[in-house]
Amino acid sequence: MTAVMQLGARPGSAADATSKSRYRTVGIGLALVGLMGAAAAAIGNFVAAGSIDATNSYGETLAWTFGLSIFSFGVIKIAISIILMGIIVRLWFRVDAIKDSLARLHGHSDTAVQPSAGDIETDYGLATVAKDPPKPLPIHRLARAMWRPMLVMGAMALVVGLISSLVWAGETVGTQSFREAGAWTQGVIFLGEAFLLSGIAFLLGTILAGLREGGGEVQHSLGLPVTTLKMPATAKAFVVLMMMGMMLGIAQFIGYLVAIGFADNTASFSTWLNVLGPLRELSLGLILAGVVLALVSIANVLRFQFNRVTTIVRTGQ
Amino acid sequence: MTITATATELARQDTKTPVDRPDGFHAVESEHSLGYNVPQKVGQRLWLPMFIVALMGWTVGIVLAIAEAATARDDLDTLQTLGQLIPAFMFIGFLGIFSAITFAVARILGEFRRGGGEVQETAGSTVQTLKMPGTAKAMLGFMMMGMMVMLAGIITNFVGAASFTGAASDVADNAATAVASAGLRRMGVALYLTGIAFGLGTIIEVLRFQAIRIREVAAAYGHNHS
Repeated sequence: MTAVMQLGARPGSAADATSKSRYRTVGIGLALVGLMGAAAAAIGNFVAAGSIDATNSYGETLAWTFGLSIFSFGVIKIAISIILMGIIVRLWFRVDAIKDSLARLHGHSDTAVQPSAGDIETDYGLATVAKDPPKPLPIHRLARAMWRPMLVMGAMALVVGLISSLVWAGETVGTQSFREAGAWTQGVIFLGEAFLLSGIAFLLGTILAGLREGGGEVQHSLGLPVTTLKMPATAKAFVVLMMMGMMLGIAQFIGYLVAIGFADNTASFSTWLNVLGPLRELSLGLILAGVVLALVSIANVLRFQFNRVTTIVRTGQ
Repeated sequence: MTITATATELARQDTKTPVDRPDGFHAVESEHSLGYNVPQKVGQRLWLPMFIVALMGWTVGIVLAIAEAATARDDLDTLQTLGQLIPAFMFIGFLGIFSAITFAVARILGEFRRGGGEVQETAGSTVQTLKMPGTAKAMLGFMMMGMMVMLAGIITNFVGAASFTGAASDVADNAATAVASAGLRRMGVALYLTGIAFGLGTIIEVLRFQAIRIREVAAAYGHNHS
């Protein structure tokens, strides 16, 4: 438990900032494992497609290839999460390095370049100037608290989904139990994917929180007024999209549970699945859309911070 | 804006000399910040259009899914056609969103490249910039492979939808098309995701380099009071 809590935590002062990141090595290795799993599932699909005729059944093959491919996506997403934890750790090394370096590199200017308090307009959006470093926003606290449980729940649901896809593949095609196993597998494995993507989104929120806190820490350590970007529109939209996607992910799982109740009626059951298929994909899509906006927000904050650092080097303010 | 334009012009004329660093980083040295490289510029321009493509693809896919659910179960022609079109449009959405994510990662890498250079230049130092790491090249490769494979799956779906004549004998062919395209589409997703993992891994390496480099610049060009 302590080891899990240490993942992505701020490194101690004795930590070696020059050493290679284990998060990166493990993450990239795991991503390649996931890619191989997805390739095996794709080959299974091609074999099944090549042997389909009017009489044979390919449903069993599709059941396990579905489970394996979605499970493999989950493995790559866990890999991405591990790499994001590594980025969080490296960002803290960056804060320490910039803090130490700016203490020796900052310039001098007799003219004030910005007010010592209040809101200012910058090229990167509205910012606040204050005496002290900013406190974390509620969404930042939520992100820091939630990424671990989301990843754990996502991983558990994925394992359940993979096992249940094997059970699904073992059922006789066209029977009620085949349909029930199919609905359960699809619902639970996509719920796992939604949790994993939410975990990734919360990790990105944690990165944004770290950038905000670290930026404040650097400026405060130099005795300068702390300039912090206000939450940009892209970050606000990120939160909304992520929440919508997560709720839809839970809704599609409930929808599949309801569909199981119609498994004795092929027509009603297939109608349910017609809607739930795209809906489960949309749930992941919305979270991914949020991820895009989070990454764009990170790029914007970095641009602002580099500009701030060069200003401090040039003017000392 | 004028300063940026001037810096970009200077970077273009700058000569880049390979640097032999003891820590194993492959870097180049120049007088000015090198600014964004071509993939980073593409990333800056294209993330939003790809994001919009994603939203449009999903919208069409969901509308068609609702139409499919409302279709009579004995209307084989419509059901088979929609069964191909819905995943095609949903995955046009995924193609857009995964491309947007990759471009956004490239954009972040661009900010590190440009900003890291500007900080060194402002401090009066020569600018050291990491050569494009293997993981960044892998990100681009995986993204392009993912896009092509996913596009092949989407096109297969459209071909399946267009070639279904309504005859009962076409059902098996349509099923084979759907199964093959699902394999291609999912493989495309896995390739995209792997590319994103490599891109994020590159960010870790860039952060490591910049944390080392800024201390070098401070040691060489900084003053001794704090």
